[in-house]
Amino acid sequence: MMRASEFIRSPKRPRPAVLLAAVSLLALTGCDDNGGDPTRQIGANPPLPALQQYLMPPIRIAKAVGWGKDETPTVPQGLQVHALATGLEHPRSLYVLPNGDVLVVESNGPKAPIFRPKDIITGWVQWFAGAKAPSANRITLLRDTNGDGIPEMRTVFLDHLNSPFGVALVGNDLYVANTDAIVRYPYQEGQTSITAPGTKLTDLPGGPIDHHWTKSLLASPDGSKLYVGVGSNSNITENGIGAEYERAAIWEVDRASGAHRIFASGTRNPTGLAWEPETHKLWAIVNERDEIGPDLVPDYLTSVKDGGFYGWPYSYFGQHLDPRVQPQRPDLVAKAIVPDYALSSHVAPLGVAIYNGTELPANFRGGAFVGEHGSWDRTPLNGYKVVFVPFSHGKPSDPAQDVVTGFLDANNHARGRPVGLAIDRSGGLLIADDVGNTVWRVSSARPGSAPKPAS
Amino acid sequence: MQHIRITDTALIGDAKPVSTAKPRGRPILPALVPFPIACFAGALVTDLMYWRTDDVMWERFSIWLITIGLILAGIAVIAGLIDVALGKRFRTLGWPQVVGYVLALAVSLVNAFVHSRDAYTAVVPTGLTLSALVVIILLVAGWAGSALVHRHRKGVAQ
Repeated sequence: MMRASEFIRSPKRPRPAVLLAAVSLLALTGCDDNGGDPTRQIGANPPLPALQQYLMPPIRIAKAVGWGKDETPTVPQGLQVHALATGLEHPRSLYVLPNGDVLVVESNGPKAPIFRPKDIITGWVQWFAGAKAPSANRITLLRDTNGDGIPEMRTVFLDHLNSPFGVALVGNDLYVANTDAIVRYPYQEGQTSITAPGTKLTDLPGGPIDHHWTKSLLASPDGSKLYVGVGSNSNITENGIGAEYERAAIWEVDRASGAHRIFASGTRNPTGLAWEPETHKLWAIVNERDEIGPDLVPDYLTSVKDGGFYGWPYSYFGQHLDPRVQPQRPDLVAKAIVPDYALSSHVAPLGVAIYNGTELPANFRGGAFVGEHGSWDRTPLNGYKVVFVPFSHGKPSDPAQDVVTGFLDANNHARGRPVGLAIDRSGGLLIADDVGNTVWRVSSARPGSAPKPAS
Repeated sequence: MQHIRITDTALIGDAKPVSTAKPRGRPILPALVPFPIACFAGALVTDLMYWRTDDVMWERFSIWLITIGLILAGIAVIAGLIDVALGKRFRTLGWPQVVGYVLALAVSLVNAFVHSRDAYTAVVPTGLTLSALVVIILLVAGWAGSALVHRHRKGVAQ
């Protein structure tokens, strides 16, 4: 008590400064944010470490720097890569029309709402990574008339869209998946611009939150159905389970009526859909959850079963429970399907194309190219490349191989980030690069590999 | 919690403690201290609501209350430093309060990070526990501090 009274009687002692020092000295780092070897988590049955919860989740972003003059991505021997188009505005996905014209969807998400102080920080992080460009809301058409691999014609094909992503053509009906609706446009082969107003086929879950805004789109082979990848409205239900209504799912939309049903669910963010040609099964790439560790949860490539449930939000890779979700649903967890093929954690697959062409070497036939946008929350960086998953008898058969790399420079700055993929009419692999604002074309390094002219 | 009375002969009574602080030398810090305390106490209430309802609205209230509480506390700390620089005297701020405020602020800072996690585990159990701990620290510090001022008449005009 003596000391106490002394303390009180010496008011010039800087007590508030003590308070400030204590707060600033508080160590908040020291969490282990280094992941293991990311290649260990590729393939079926990836090793899954115990989950961690952080005070400060690891953030490791590649600063966006863009491509220098004459810089291109790197491809293995036997392949070559060149820019099909540059100076685009945040190209996210690609679609090849029957006459060889290439559609480039230039798009970005709607403005993210701020619900928590964290959302402000996330906005800064995304800006730093070059992901905050305003949405051009436009589809650009590229046409190579003389077959030299360089498009001579570039037109605005469709404008004034609403954060579009998926495109699908059935007959003369061109469908664009905006973030909030599928819209149908009349299209005649050879058309370079659509001015006719669109007709809404169906609403899709959009705002006001619209956390995962991309809606991937794929028509059924007979053209009667459209499959739509609808991402979740949160990382892990932090916006409430009510915000997830009919989200984190793959929709089947009846093309005639616009009616839909949930084809598969529990797929957190299914950003790409493709038909496997041998088994005619639907495959999807899915982006899994964040903030429970550098090696959790691996993003995946999987065949999609009708009525299948793939875990989100309650569990991952089968029955691994996520404690962040309350109330839990043991009934759903019990039937959660383990995805077929892990692509490694946080690689962010945003484009998939199953190779059916002849331009590239024969070993690529039947397998899947996956465009990995790249991680932002683990060390070392993961993704930032296009990989190839070999298939045999309609299933992934071997470890994924790096095909297109060099999106990161020696300082781990992002010159580009691969997003949507497409196979052009001649069999070349097209890659949308939304940081480099370029569409790349990969072909075989041999004479006469230029694409056929568009008619 | 702070009892600042202007020394005025007409008001001096034996029962009520009267501060020896002079009007011109009055520090700003004590006037700002209640605001972050109210925020941190409010966060405990909204945490309890979230725990009982699973409604994310309460979780969002909690993280904003804690964040705003930290910002207001930061402003109070700056005001306190200015007070010290100007040589003003904290006659009504006892050492238990200072220790308590420092602790509560440190725990609240950690709590802000816990509350920035996604969904349930942002609150239950760690966030809720920390919010309760902060309120307990503030209550104990406030009680001990006022006991010093009232019972032992420290920093009080005799």
